[in-house]
Amino acid sequence: MTKPLKLAVVGHTNVGKTSLLRTLTRDVGFGEVSHRPSTTRHVEGARLSVEGEALLELYDTPGLEDAIALLDYLERLDRPGERLDGPARLARFLEGSEARQRFEQEAKVLRQLLACDAGLYVIDAREPVLAKYRDELQVLASCGKPLLPVLNFVSSSEHREPDWREALARLGLHALVRFDSVAPPEDGERRLYESLALLLENARPQLERLILDQQAQRQARQQSAARLIAELLIDCAACRRSVVTEDEPQAISDLRKAVRQREQRCVEALLKLFGFRPQDAAASDLPLLDGRWGDDLFNPETLKQLGVRVGGGIAAGAAAGAGVDLLVGGLTLGAAALAGAIAGGALQTARSYGSRLLGKIKGQRELTVDDSVLRLLALRQRQLLKALNLRGHAAMHSIKVDTPQDKTWREGKLPDALHKARAHPQWSSLNPHAKLSQAERQEQVEALAARLDEA
Amino acid sequence: MTALNPLHKLWLTETVRLREEHAGPLEDLEANRLARTAGGDLPTRIQQRALHLAERDGLTAALGRWLQGARLALVLLAVVALISGAGLAFAALGNGLTPVNVFWALGSLLGLNLIVLTSWALGLLFAGEHSASLGRLWLWLSEKLARDAKAAQLAPALLLLLQRQKLNRWAVGVLVNSLWLLALLSALVILLTLLATRRYGFVWETTILGADTFVAVTQALGALPALLGFNVPTVEMIRASGDSALNIESARQAWAAWLVGVLLIYGLLPRLILALLCLWRWKRGRAALRLDLNLPGYSQLRERLMPSSERLGVNDAAPQQLHAVSGGVSELHSDGALLVAIELDDQHPWPPKLPGNVKNAGILDSRESRHKLLEQLTRFPPARLAIACDPRRSPDRGSLALIAELARSASATRVWLLQAPPGQALDAERLGDWHAALQQLELPFADCAPLNWLESGHD
Repeated sequence: MTKPLKLAVVGHTNVGKTSLLRTLTRDVGFGEVSHRPSTTRHVEGARLSVEGEALLELYDTPGLEDAIALLDYLERLDRPGERLDGPARLARFLEGSEARQRFEQEAKVLRQLLACDAGLYVIDAREPVLAKYRDELQVLASCGKPLLPVLNFVSSSEHREPDWREALARLGLHALVRFDSVAPPEDGERRLYESLALLLENARPQLERLILDQQAQRQARQQSAARLIAELLIDCAACRRSVVTEDEPQAISDLRKAVRQREQRCVEALLKLFGFRPQDAAASDLPLLDGRWGDDLFNPETLKQLGVRVGGGIAAGAAAGAGVDLLVGGLTLGAAALAGAIAGGALQTARSYGSRLLGKIKGQRELTVDDSVLRLLALRQRQLLKALNLRGHAAMHSIKVDTPQDKTWREGKLPDALHKARAHPQWSSLNPHAKLSQAERQEQVEALAARLDEA
Repeated sequence: MTALNPLHKLWLTETVRLREEHAGPLEDLEANRLARTAGGDLPTRIQQRALHLAERDGLTAALGRWLQGARLALVLLAVVALISGAGLAFAALGNGLTPVNVFWALGSLLGLNLIVLTSWALGLLFAGEHSASLGRLWLWLSEKLARDAKAAQLAPALLLLLQRQKLNRWAVGVLVNSLWLLALLSALVILLTLLATRRYGFVWETTILGADTFVAVTQALGALPALLGFNVPTVEMIRASGDSALNIESARQAWAAWLVGVLLIYGLLPRLILALLCLWRWKRGRAALRLDLNLPGYSQLRERLMPSSERLGVNDAAPQQLHAVSGGVSELHSDGALLVAIELDDQHPWPPKLPGNVKNAGILDSRESRHKLLEQLTRFPPARLAIACDPRRSPDRGSLALIAELARSASATRVWLLQAPPGQALDAERLGDWHAALQQLELPFADCAPLNWLESGHD
């Protein structure tokens, strides 16, 4: 069991230290984030583990706000004729009374950094490189711990990354990482940990384990997400409402409501999977549903399925009849087998088709979800998935799942799995008497998920 | 209830997953805690949790009953197999009064078996996982015999679990082939018993085929059994049996041995080999069965059972209140007006055009510039001091302390919160923070230049 690597997240106030922690721990509820300076006034830790083994401990610290005065004060701590090094000077400062008064917050940060293996120095890349930041770095450097600058808010248009790079290089900090805690790049965490591994050679094995585990989890999340979307699509494709023609508008609006609620369920499941709150995304209203009156009786898939069923019934009946034939020593000359086959076929036809034929005779029509709505659902969920992949856990705004303006999504061929689903009303959770655990349904869900995943 | 084997555990885990997927999540605080304490990797913890929930909700007991039902169904099917096997033998040999037509006998012993075997093999090759009506019959029977509503998800769970490794076909293959093996064994035993205790004459009959065909067919069929030591009737015997049943002992024995040999080699042996093959594949696949952690149901459990991040809590608490900076004015004799800016970047043109009597103290940023100005102000306090700040910076304690210190060395101070440079907008929330902080320092502030005030002392 290795000791977890301890990192202090330090920096000026209001640069997004708690946000960085939220994103790195994928924990939207960690600490408190607000626009006010000195929101975090305590030191709080979080632990990252792989397979139950703690690998990394991150500590959120209060922001440094008065580094210029502190540096001034520190330099005056040397008694005449003595020359202290950084950590010794800090030790004297932390014993003194100002560490409990004017510089109480700063003392907290320094104590924590001294207790850690390294520090992540968070920078708001939109800020100009002011003298106070340089002094801050000088104070932090006197802890004698490696510091890795992390440029936050680099996706903002006003960032001053080149200035910061130059200033940091002048201070001897050449390794730095771009990591926007609100919109982290896909490989942001990997880069961060790799840079850390360069600074802390001893911690390389555990950091590499962390990187591998996060990659594996990212992949697993993608596959789970594809399956959730596939379930939504199968549910909607197999959905079927039998209505009398007069109730058509009502039925269409009911169907629309059901589909919309089902989509919202999928959105919520995706948010949960990615560790976001239910209110972090909302699907906008579906465009007006074109009710698809499926004359499903002659759908090729339905006919094929009917053929298989009736064939199976005939075979089963014939087998039973043949058994009878055998037991009586072939005296019936196959009559029993023939009778069995006819009875079996008829029974299967009536069982799998009877109620729908009856409905047809009674003048009912069957309403299903239009192809283009299925396409739209797939598109919207995929967009949401993309947005979630690029969303940091520090993001506060809500994702809007919208309908794209251009019409290209209306075209294109639907995957086979959805055509199959059309002929299996029992596959939809929106229909009564659903049989969701049917092996055939799962097979189609998996096939569709694989297609969504590769696309 | 015997101890659960690994397959049963996986099965119960899958059942619990299906239940949660269809009926909403179960109350699982205790189960999660226990699973976390037990440790191990994620699949182990998921199983631990599922087994606890299954035990609590009676699923384990339902599984026991289901297995019992399955065994009962198996016994029923075995009995049916035994009886039909016996029936096959009786039907093949008839009542002994008339001579046995060897090819009819062979047909009724092997015919159905071969047809079903072919259809099973074709199903295995082409139809995938959903064939084998005998297998379905068994599942259906076991469900009926288990008579338990809780077991509703058990059968689908097993099917899904096995389907993932494509094990259904092998499991069903073991079942189907063993049942047929049993039926054929029973047929063999009855056949031997009948042959041992009754006297049968053997003939073959034809209208359009020649005797040579029968000789060839008989010898071809008997070739393989002959390798195992079963007699094959001689050509003369075969030809003679075409006319009437030979009443010689050696001919009867030869035909009987041929019949038994053919049944053994073409009936029992293939079924035995297939049953063993399926058993081998089944055992191998069973050992490779794992939970599919990519299923949404399982991946959502990860954070609860093996959190990749946990909060450690506060280890250095927040103070009751932060060190407060206070404002104030200088009581010393003061004179003149001064404008100073704090931490401006190059986007603001500085200084603005100043009236003649207003001095410019430049931009304060570094420690040295601060010291210099404060020294100077202490010696020659200004009567009016305007401090320009960029409200895009955050109002931190250091900046506020500096503003307060500057204010303390002047008789009157105003803060000028600069406008955003062209093309940019101020963040309303941050501006609000500045207002609140300056109000606390009791300093007047405005967003326009207080140049008139600096110049003349009134607006």
